[in-house]
Amino acid sequence: MYKIAIPTCGNGGLNEVMNKRFGRCDSFTFVTIENNQITEVNSIENHAKGGTGGVGIQATQIVGNNSSDEVIVGFLGPNAANSLNALNIKIYQSPGGELTVKELIDLRLNKKLQLITSANVGAHQGMGRGSGYRR
Amino acid sequence: MVKPKIICVTGGKGGTGKTMVAVNLATMFKNRGYKVLLIDGDVENPNTYLLLNGKLKNKTEVLYFLPKIIEEKCNKCGLCAENCATHALLYIKNSFPIPISTVCSGCKLCYKICPTNAIDADLKIIGWIYTSSAFNIDLFLGELKPSEASSAAIVKTLMEKLKKVIEIDQNKYDVVILDTAPGAHCDVEELINHADFIVPVTEPTRFGKLDLLRIIELIELLEKEYKVIVNRSSLLGFKEKFLLELEEKGIELLGDIPLDEDIVSSYCQGIPLMEIKRNSDKSGMGYQSFNEIFKNLIEWGEFVK
Repeated sequence: MYKIAIPTCGNGGLNEVMNKRFGRCDSFTFVTIENNQITEVNSIENHAKGGTGGVGIQATQIVGNNSSDEVIVGFLGPNAANSLNALNIKIYQSPGGELTVKELIDLRLNKKLQLITSANVGAHQGMGRGSGYRR
Repeated sequence: MVKPKIICVTGGKGGTGKTMVAVNLATMFKNRGYKVLLIDGDVENPNTYLLLNGKLKNKTEVLYFLPKIIEEKCNKCGLCAENCATHALLYIKNSFPIPISTVCSGCKLCYKICPTNAIDADLKIIGWIYTSSAFNIDLFLGELKPSEASSAAIVKTLMEKLKKVIEIDQNKYDVVILDTAPGAHCDVEELINHADFIVPVTEPTRFGKLDLLRIIELIELLEKEYKVIVNRSSLLGFKEKFLLELEEKGIELLGDIPLDEDIVSSYCQGIPLMEIKRNSDKSGMGYQSFNEIFKNLIEWGEFVK
């Protein structure tokens, strides 16, 4: 059994799309997998999203405090990457596009996602209009 | 003299001649028998020693605090992480907090508030301080380690060093000249804050003017006295218009320095212009204008020797 955390838009859930900004997503959706099947889904608000700095670290705290083993991310900043690595949480890269949690989990279960270990954007790219204009 | 008078050469824009002015002011004070210390606070690009043909000596490390968790003492309460303003401590329930060094500001709050004294000081090197001496001018110079962000911490270390020197012997120096980085950031602010007289150096261009007004805003916020030097004043014939604009804004001038080949050659050789001994070289525009600036500075600062 393991738990995957995904940064999501709105209130999160299986049918919600991923939020590409890790630290500044609206919510996190946690999906528990057992024997390659989804056994539990829950989501919580990301209270760190409005912070001025260090949000990647705070978001990682949320992910870690909810006992996640893995995350699937769009954009990931250096502080978040360092923090996730410090907690030994595996980081999978979303292929891009507007994918829902369900679609991403399917990709993960079919081993179609790339494992990454470092940031894919610079610090503060998730602030303001930064993220959407990259890539 | 009870305490050395401190002059801060700054200017906002890069490349206006701050270091050139600082080195020559130091030389002129020294020529008149003052004991002079020059402090290079442009810690991202410290190069004053090059204009003095000097060599850097006595390298010492500038260390910065980083928290280190002593696991035997830590009760995993999370108080440190909860109160860390920059969120530099990653805390997961029932586990040891993990310091994230890249965002730590070195404030030591965690170290002070830990109820079980489980945080130790783990020091990292953020830069270096050097001392040197050339042409009878003493030099302190700070260098920020590339990729480190805390230039103001290096500047602070330089000023603490100055304070210690004065505490030991208050007559060691008559005049201290501070050379700042471009910009109006906290490292520049730190130096301005320690000075009695501020000399912003600018040039008669749009960039020069804009950045001058920014640095003046900072100087006025800090309630310091200032007088401006316009370097390259003969550039493109803008001098009169530029000086008039400064006058209209009520900005006082310490003097102006026209374009001058002697200045360029002294710059390239690493021998301050005002170090020149031959009389034939003393008729140059640069030499004359520095003498005029120095006269005004002595009057303004009531320097007595």
